[in-house]
Amino acid sequence: MDIVQRRDPVVVEDLYMTYRVGKVDVPAVRGVSLSIRAGEFVAIMGPSGCGKSTLLHLMGGLLRPTSGRILIDGVDIASVSDAERTEIRRRKMGFVFQRFNLLPTLTARDNIELARKIQGNGHLRNHQTTEEMLTLLGIADKMHHKPAELSGGEQQRVAIARSVVSRPAILLADEPTGNLDSDNSQMVLRMLQELNLKYGQTIVMITHDAEAASTASRIIEMRDGKILNRVQNLFYAMEQKRV
Amino acid sequence: MLKLVYSNLFQRPTRTGVSILAVSLGVVLVLVSVGLSYGQLSDAADRMRRIGGDFMLQPPNSTFFFALDSGTLPVRLTEVIAKIEGVQAVTPVLAKFIGDKFHLVYGIDKDSFGRVNDSLRFTEGRHFESPYEAIIDTNYARSKQLKVGDRLDLLNHTFTVVGIYQEGTASRVMIPLATLQELNGTPDKVTTFFIRGGDEALLDTVYERLKERFRDYKITRTADLQEIMAANTPVFKQFLAAVVFLSVAISFLIVLLAMYTTITERTREIGVLKSLGASKSFIVQLILRESLLICSAGVVLGFVLAAIAIKLILTAFPSMPVNITATWRIAAAAIALFGGVLGALYPALKAAQLDPVKALGYE
Repeated sequence: MDIVQRRDPVVVEDLYMTYRVGKVDVPAVRGVSLSIRAGEFVAIMGPSGCGKSTLLHLMGGLLRPTSGRILIDGVDIASVSDAERTEIRRRKMGFVFQRFNLLPTLTARDNIELARKIQGNGHLRNHQTTEEMLTLLGIADKMHHKPAELSGGEQQRVAIARSVVSRPAILLADEPTGNLDSDNSQMVLRMLQELNLKYGQTIVMITHDAEAASTASRIIEMRDGKILNRVQNLFYAMEQKRV
Repeated sequence: MLKLVYSNLFQRPTRTGVSILAVSLGVVLVLVSVGLSYGQLSDAADRMRRIGGDFMLQPPNSTFFFALDSGTLPVRLTEVIAKIEGVQAVTPVLAKFIGDKFHLVYGIDKDSFGRVNDSLRFTEGRHFESPYEAIIDTNYARSKQLKVGDRLDLLNHTFTVVGIYQEGTASRVMIPLATLQELNGTPDKVTTFFIRGGDEALLDTVYERLKERFRDYKITRTADLQEIMAANTPVFKQFLAAVVFLSVAISFLIVLLAMYTTITERTREIGVLKSLGASKSFIVQLILRESLLICSAGVVLGFVLAAIAIKLILTAFPSMPVNITATWRIAAAAIALFGGVLGALYPALKAAQLDPVKALGYE
């Protein structure tokens, strides 16, 4: 069991999620409880259909659970209205998807700018400018390119930049390396690590790849909608100390 | 948001172009139909007003479309009207609609017409003096390329054009009253009387006296003609309502179709926007702004196309009066924008209601 601190940015308590498919109830998440501490990089790992994506969507406020509590900075997003969940998502969450999901009609820069505008807090001082963010992720020279003109790795880096430009409390990454070759996967994972180690960005990453999961500070293994195992990555703790 | 709106419009340029064109056709429909119909009305009213009479006396239940009412009043009423206190002059007019040429011919009594009318200015030639002489206005002369001395076929008879007068008064063609009565088969009958009241301060009194004397007749102040004509012209209001409805329907359906296709195509993008924290109102605004841009471009294009259409019509029919008022220009733009926003509303609300997880998984 996690030791739950009241100030942890994400606390999940006894969470259940059951989908209704036709006339059949399909349980996806079955009694999950966990806590993510500020500045943690947590990988949730498991095979396809184990409920990890559903858990991520629930933590991101994209889905409402069947039962249980999801506390984001102390607010139970399972019990608030749609509009309030959207507001929490807007102010506190960043998402990175397997399929990058950049808006195809906008340039890399405009994708990031749009996210900043939607999140409406680009004026705060601790936020990076779009240019800084693109430079940090090594794609400053691609800022005027549209997604179709970028490689998969570049698109995912833009997607990461978009998700963290307003410095969200929690970055939720859904199989961020799932559509990338090994070189680009390594690069993206290194960037997530860097964001976590250098900037203290809290990250929750879903993956079915053990190698990808090993880059996180903590690994939570799921199977059949339940948490099977929780492992602390000691090497990561050493790296954290070094940084 | 504007960048996203613009870029979305350019993503499918053909669809956007067709939508803009369709909206513009609605605008053209309103402007051209209203321009032509109001043009006809205001032109007819202006020309009748400039005949110089303060009042018109017509048979009961008659319309201002003389084409529908060609000669039922006895000409002897001229003397009865003239005897009413305050009436300065009166002239009988027989109007005949020439179907194949699509215009009116007035049969006038030259002498009494001259006493009522003070705006007939000859630019060429003289007034008619014999039965088969005709006078025409400058517009008619220009459009038919007629000059003094030319022959003019009317009602299966040949007239000689003896005078050309400045356009803007009475009908385009005028011939002697007796000739038109004979050709029309209505001897001693006329369509209307134009009455001059003289002293402006006494016009109300003269009007009351005329109404008193001719209780069942239709007596109209020529100053109010255009307004009364627009209000009483058969099916005019219904025609305008139909044109407005059609225009709204075009904008509505086109924008509905375009925006519905757009949000279906962009379901995943809407999911992404939602995951970024975009509120429902943000999504609704995004779709509405796209539709407003399409409609605004449609309005601008519609104004240009309407101007071209009217120029073409005037080239083909130079005597066709057109009157597009500023009010109707604003109305045409408002109709297109209203139809477009209405059409975008359902797709916008549908997009705003999308489940973000389902939208993100949309193929």
